[in-house]
Amino acid sequence: MTKTLVSIHGVSHRFGADGAGVLALDGIDLEVPDGQFVAIVGPSGCGKSTLLSLVAGLRRPSSGTVFCDGERITAPMPRKVGMIFQEANLLPWLTAVDNVAFPLKLRRVSKLERRAAARDMLALTGLAGFEEKLPHQLSGGMKQRVSIARGLVQDPAVLLMDEPFASLDEQTRMLLGDELLRIWSETRKTVLFVTHSLNEAVYLADRVIVLSARPGRIVDDVAVDLPRPRTFAMTSSERFGVLKERIWQHIRQAERR
Amino acid sequence: MRRHERLIVAAGGVGLFLLWEVLVRRGALDPSLAPAPSTILDALLKLARRPEVLASLGVTAWEVLAAFLIAAPAGLFIGFALAEVPFLGALFRPLINFLFGVPKSIFLPVFILVFGVSIPQKIAFGVFTTLFVVIMGGIAAVESVPRELVTVSRAYGATPWQVIREIYLPSMAPILLESARLGMIFNITAVLLCEIYGARDGIGYRIAAWGENLQMPQLYAALVIVAIAAVFVNEVLRVVESRLGFWRRVA
Amino acid sequence: MTRVSQAALYLSILAAWEVLPRAGVIPRLFVPSLSEAVGALVENHGEYLASLPTTVGEILVAYVIACGGGILVGQIIGASPRARRMLLPVFRSAYAVPLVVLYPVMMVWFGLGAESKIAFASIYAFIPTMLTAVAGVAALSPALGETARAFGATSLQQILFIALPASLPSIVAALRLGGALVIVGVIVAEMLGAAEGLGFLITRYRTLLNSPGVYAGIILVLVMTGMHELALRRLERMVASYRET
Repeated sequence: MTKTLVSIHGVSHRFGADGAGVLALDGIDLEVPDGQFVAIVGPSGCGKSTLLSLVAGLRRPSSGTVFCDGERITAPMPRKVGMIFQEANLLPWLTAVDNVAFPLKLRRVSKLERRAAARDMLALTGLAGFEEKLPHQLSGGMKQRVSIARGLVQDPAVLLMDEPFASLDEQTRMLLGDELLRIWSETRKTVLFVTHSLNEAVYLADRVIVLSARPGRIVDDVAVDLPRPRTFAMTSSERFGVLKERIWQHIRQAERR
Repeated sequence: MRRHERLIVAAGGVGLFLLWEVLVRRGALDPSLAPAPSTILDALLKLARRPEVLASLGVTAWEVLAAFLIAAPAGLFIGFALAEVPFLGALFRPLINFLFGVPKSIFLPVFILVFGVSIPQKIAFGVFTTLFVVIMGGIAAVESVPRELVTVSRAYGATPWQVIREIYLPSMAPILLESARLGMIFNITAVLLCEIYGARDGIGYRIAAWGENLQMPQLYAALVIVAIAAVFVNEVLRVVESRLGFWRRVA
Repeated sequence: MTRVSQAALYLSILAAWEVLPRAGVIPRLFVPSLSEAVGALVENHGEYLASLPTTVGEILVAYVIACGGGILVGQIIGASPRARRMLLPVFRSAYAVPLVVLYPVMMVWFGLGAESKIAFASIYAFIPTMLTAVAGVAALSPALGETARAFGATSLQQILFIALPASLPSIVAALRLGGALVIVGVIVAEMLGAAEGLGFLITRYRTLLNSPGVYAGIILVLVMTGMHELALRRLERMVASYRET
């Protein structure tokens, strides 16, 4: 039995200084075993991104605890958790390789060492040859690859992805989805992947967590029993449709309320 | 600019001066109003050897520099404070916007009332005209810092100091330089205005005196010196600005 | 909340202007109290009013020359990418030249009268006005012209129905900037050397160490630039609203 890597216990989160604001998350319990690819879906504003920022340590939950690899998260732990945002959010004055090396620079790793590590990550994400380009010279998909490389460069056990492909066009996001699966199968990271695309969730993940409308509660935990490696043909299979249908029912209900 | 276009522009400039020279020699332009470029050049070379003229240039340069060294840090400090402290920003920004739009030159007589005709008066007036440009630049610079990048670097464990050094400084640098450059243009104009309006020394004072005595070659030569110096300072700052802003997408 | 504290801020600035000079905290020579300055304006209103025709006349002529010329040249340069490439760098560098030093030359050329003020203010305002106009024209979308051509518009029709309305906002923006510079240019020129006009009055009161007189003149200039600003903002809004419909 693989060990549990991320565990979320009784987490609720309320915005506002003294907990007077909106209740975004309510009683979340989630255990993610090592190496699992988990997609988190839910209606808009259900707190999926908030949940991710709690695991990233960017916020502290109003109540409950988040553990990662046996350590309680109270602040960002960049060596354990790599975060990838919806926008690539690259530093526009740094080249691709220096952007990837940025997390190492913050830890004062020597320039030679961090650039070598960054080069490896760019090669892994299919960007060999683009090391010295500035962000504005890269396409949207390439920028997001740089961002993924940056998330991986410290070899964290967990990769948090907050709608990473949402601002890309349909073709690019399908290509990047396959790339992500390849990278994941090579590195065996634990992935928490927030998306609002049901196709993307079922296609990529081992398991789909469905949140309800605000306040976000877990309403379903769907095991995706499609074989790996995933292929494009599976997206039109009957099983794929059944899984998507099951998730869609929850979301439609939530939106109706 | 493409290369041949650059040549055309340069040729046009040279041609204009040649035309001027020819017109004066033919008697079509009155040399007592516009002396020939050759006469001006001659005067320029003579001025460059006169120690009292060089001393006047030094006085002006000192006033400009002193005003800038006071206005730039003070303006930046105020600008940062207004951008980073919400209460101060809400309270003072409309006032600063208003003062930014108010013409500064017309307050020059007030500075003479307060400081008399003196070097401190010129420096103070230079500070007064430069300050608001730098304040606005400071506010714009802080607001140009992408909040997402601050979040990203926090997610990767940046300390507050690292956020300032790695995110704030590089993204603010081009805008700060730009406002410093604009401030410098205003500052030079302000100090020269002071000197023409009333002074005992400085190149502006000499320009006014040569004008009153109708010493046109010297007057024009001084204009050339001032123009070249101002353009030079501006271009140097602009080069630094574009170096620091190399990453900004070329429009 | 902010509005209240802002109102309080402005009121306290005005109150300080009145009280501090009266209390002797600020010497009255430096800053006379608000009521003294306004009092000087009321008391000598005949003199100030008499100076206005000269000054306003100079402003109007320079306004037409600087803004008309600046916008015209701006439209021509802006319409041609090649002209933009060749001339804009030259003008941007020339922008750094402190033009005040030209005023002594203008005095030699045109004497103490209105002409030297008009010439100086026109030159002073020309480049910024032109650069604003160029920026507006350059930002126009070529698709508009293409659409018009596709529907068979003649060149004249293209200018009348496409280019002109599309560049109106930039023209108003150029007027707003150029007009303000013309006003300041005329006043500064009058301060530097003149025999009449508002700027001359300010300088004369300064020589007499009559600071209420100086401040009264400055208040009048501020009223002028303020009115110009408000009028142009209004025009800007009108142009914007007409474009949206």
